[in-house]
Amino acid sequence: MDLDINSIFQIAAIGFILAMIHTILKQMGKEDIAHWVTVIGFVIVLYMVIQRLGDLFQEIRAIFLFQ
Amino acid sequence: MPIPSLCGATAAMLKVVGAILVLCAGALIGLHMSHQYASRPRQIRQLIQALQRLETEISYGATPLAEAFHSIARQAAGPVAVLLGAAAEELQSESADTRGALERSAERCWGRTALRPAEREIWLHLGSILGVSDRDDQIRHLRLAMSQLKSEEDAAQEDQRRYASMWRSLGLLGGALVAILLY
Repeated sequence: MDLDINSIFQIAAIGFILAMIHTILKQMGKEDIAHWVTVIGFVIVLYMVIQRLGDLFQEIRAIFLFQ
Repeated sequence: MPIPSLCGATAAMLKVVGAILVLCAGALIGLHMSHQYASRPRQIRQLIQALQRLETEISYGATPLAEAFHSIARQAAGPVAVLLGAAAEELQSESADTRGALERSAERCWGRTALRPAEREIWLHLGSILGVSDRDDQIRHLRLAMSQLKSEEDAAQEDQRRYASMWRSLGLLGGALVAILLY
């Protein structure tokens, strides 16, 4: 299992950078590309979070079944 | 994303080096795009000045086209000078077909300039005109080409104002994003 603090920082950094890219693209006038980039970033972060959640549920199930 | 088969310290260092490389790649891509936007108005201006000298040569002297292109290539600078020099070479080797000569010189050198297809159209159109019709007609067409290039230059300056600094930050941020994703 990954170190959790690392992944939290990773997700926070991705969110921050995506916000900056969104702002810059909106300033350039390319709003639709900005929205696409935000959606793609959201999907990537969602994928990472779902992976961690899957691990969490495995752990919980292992603990409960073990008992 | 862990690196297998390496001990802890070198793996971490390698990851940092890799992240820095990705960041630098992103930043350099952004700088390159920004530089393209900045060079385009400058090169259009150089092309206009070269065409003005060509018009002077045509109207006041009876120099053959290849020599005229050679002399304006000597006075120009940067990738535009390379383009004009290539045109001069092509005109010298085959003086009959000016349009073909300008086409070949564009194929050789256009990649190095920051100019876009609009300017290439104007350049190739010049090839159909020069050396074919009489002096006044050529001068009229040269003036028309110069005014078209002037409006392209204004549009290019507008583009530069809007997009040049944006691409710089975008390149850096994109590099940071990829570095963080792969970390």
